[in-house]
Amino acid sequence: MKEYVLLMFTAALVNNVILGRFLGLCPTMGVTTRLDAAVGMGMATTFVMTIAAIAGWTVNTLLLTPFDLGYLRTITFILIIASTVQFTEMVVKKVSPELFKLLGIYLPLITTNCAVLGIALLLVADKMSFISSVLFALGSAMGFSLVLVIFAGLRERLAVMDVPRLFAGPPIAFIVVSLLALAFMGFSGMGAN
Amino acid sequence: MDSITDFSAPPMVEGIAHVVKIDGKSVWLEPEQGSSCGSCASASACGSKGIGTISSRLENRRFRIDNDANLSVGERVVFGIRENVLLKASITAYAIPLVALVLAGALAQWKFGSDLITMAATVTGLVIGLGISRMAAGHLHSKGDLAPLFLRRAKPGETCGS
Repeated sequence: MKEYVLLMFTAALVNNVILGRFLGLCPTMGVTTRLDAAVGMGMATTFVMTIAAIAGWTVNTLLLTPFDLGYLRTITFILIIASTVQFTEMVVKKVSPELFKLLGIYLPLITTNCAVLGIALLLVADKMSFISSVLFALGSAMGFSLVLVIFAGLRERLAVMDVPRLFAGPPIAFIVVSLLALAFMGFSGMGAN
Repeated sequence: MDSITDFSAPPMVEGIAHVVKIDGKSVWLEPEQGSSCGSCASASACGSKGIGTISSRLENRRFRIDNDANLSVGERVVFGIRENVLLKASITAYAIPLVALVLAGALAQWKFGSDLITMAATVTGLVIGLGISRMAAGHLHSKGDLAPLFLRRAKPGETCGS
């Protein structure tokens, strides 16, 4: 039990997918101008990342490894992620067309999110068990969402600040995210590696 | 600074849509592409649009509101959704199935300790979670929480970010 909690803690905070591994930087800058967009994107990514990790682990364990097809891993995982996004879109639409209308806009953005592919490849490279893979992906996705929400909150405040013209817009956003990365460095050395 | 945020305004997520059809006493609105994609310089070359064209995606997201403001086809309007509704919708659509999936997987792992059984349990948990999610979404819909509200006619050149 303790091992699994540490795994999630490490994935979410110590090796944060954005601030520790530098993956998923495009949505970090793109959808964090508004807090509501960051929450929607974070939740959708959490769902897709966990489902993609399950599908990736299954295909890798039952197909790629037994048939010695490891060289197809990256392309297979890209296909799995694209299919997972489409599957999620179909399911959300089926479960509730109203929810799809509210949240559907974020789903296609996840298809090209390198964080999802990165996590799927990492858990295979680390030869994790099934439940560890699920918890690792979930922890990483929660860390991703946490940073999106914190950063979006900071950017909403920045929008009403008197920032010097030279730094207004993306420059001050990059400075803020680098300070956030420094803050997350405080978690270094904690939990499991 | 171009704009100042009004903190006294009710917490509402705003979007822009245009009227595509008038249907009796209600109108059909099609939302405009969100700022995250629409304002990106690489939008035309980006794969983020996924399968299907932008227009087909936006067509899927058409919604209907009452035509109390006497809108006509082609007019641009600002609509709003309460902020807490977006959070409730995200939790309903994604968090409920995920929690069910993880709980089922964790229980199976603790009880049997086999990867294959855990895998089957997570899939079962996901299906159950989606069922609960569907019921919760139906509840939200029946309360009218998910319906967007008409706020005002959009000014010429107004965008989500302005």
